[in-house]
Amino acid sequence: MRRVTPDTIAAVDLAVCDRCGLCLPLCPPEAIHLELNVLTVDDATCTGCEKCVAPCPVGALAMVAYG
Amino acid sequence: MVDVDVLVVGAGPAGAVSAWHAKQAAPGLDVVLLERDRAVGSPVRCAEGVGDAGLREFANPDGADWAARKITKVIFQAPDDTEVVVAERGVGWVLDRTRFDAHLAAEAAAAGAQVLVGAEATGMSHNGLEDDRWHVRVKERGQDTEYRARVVIGADGVETMVGRWAGLDTRVPARDMESCAQYVLQGIECDPDAIYLQFSEAIAPGGYAWIFPKAVGVANVGLGLVALKTDGRNAHQYLDAWVGRRFPAAARTGYTVGGVIVHTTIKKTYADGVMVAGDAAHMINPLSGGGITNAMKAGRLAGKTAAAAICAGDTSERRLAAYHHAWMELLGEDHLKYYRIKQALESVDDEFFNKLARTVNKIPQEKRSIGRIFAHALIRHPQLIPVAARFFV
Repeated sequence: MRRVTPDTIAAVDLAVCDRCGLCLPLCPPEAIHLELNVLTVDDATCTGCEKCVAPCPVGALAMVAYG
Repeated sequence: MVDVDVLVVGAGPAGAVSAWHAKQAAPGLDVVLLERDRAVGSPVRCAEGVGDAGLREFANPDGADWAARKITKVIFQAPDDTEVVVAERGVGWVLDRTRFDAHLAAEAAAAGAQVLVGAEATGMSHNGLEDDRWHVRVKERGQDTEYRARVVIGADGVETMVGRWAGLDTRVPARDMESCAQYVLQGIECDPDAIYLQFSEAIAPGGYAWIFPKAVGVANVGLGLVALKTDGRNAHQYLDAWVGRRFPAAARTGYTVGGVIVHTTIKKTYADGVMVAGDAAHMINPLSGGGITNAMKAGRLAGKTAAAAICAGDTSERRLAAYHHAWMELLGEDHLKYYRIKQALESVDDEFFNKLARTVNKIPQEKRSIGRIFAHALIRHPQLIPVAARFFV
């Protein structure tokens, strides 16, 4: 369980995402999943740390307001 | 429920060689190799370069349809475009990964392993009380099948889900992730016998840009960068800027992106009934970003270890630890040294590379080697000496 509710969390734009999987090991709480060719960010697990955003080679991840 | 002895997840070089060598070591075992995508070797997420000697331990590239181009020269380009040509005997190859991965999977199949394409592992669990096997859920064309395996080998690449499911820590710090983007360009002018590596903070901060020829006038042209060092643009945008400037007239006939983990081997590559190999275990040379040969060598170790463990009736993590130790002795310890050099190089700037290139060009080309270039780097940059001392001693 995360201790603080983040103001923003990561969200993926599936129209841009190339399904390369680069962001998965970058996510400290392992909130990102890639299954059956669809990338998802688990809202309840994401801590809003933004570590996945800049490294995405195509800019498919961005921070959005939580809730 | 399908009972197998060895279930390999991912049919890249690590997985295919794992399945091949497990079956070869113990032909009586049931070995299944799963590929998530509909074709082994596709999509390609790779610059496709590989060293000659390592490749030959697994496959003969002479005349092979999966070998796109033989490489005899490495051309380093400084930020100011000064070129340093290093020619060495049998440097390496640029592969056709679509065909090469299929070739390795065919070797596994020829040894007797079953290869399944379009088969994605979606989770696995272990019930220690019920039996000592992993239950792996696999989705094949919309159908769920449960495989029960004595040993699962995770060769599932950068995203490394098998490692995660087995409770291994496979996370990567942001500074050790190279974000890469690459085009296949047609109609370009470059030496088709050479690979080009350019170092420049403006072109590929924290990494390098490459040209790997696949035929005369055709090359993989890409770059890898560390996002923490960029000006805010992503790898795709850096690539467009560089290619637009350098090859404005080229036809872009292919495009790929992906991550290269320039870290060291994960602390623990095994658990009860599980081993992880290749990119999934961060078995990449952290200086070059090369991973194909590493993956095959790890796959060979994992396959043999799995076969021996099953034949001995002991697939516990205590037994499988032998895989980790063998890998660390073979290459893992070297990667720790390369990683320290990588860290030291992070402190040098573009001007260092410019000066180094001009100094090295005073050495006659026939006497130039990677080792000599490194020696010159030390003279110019004494702070690298303690690192180099650890590297060479």
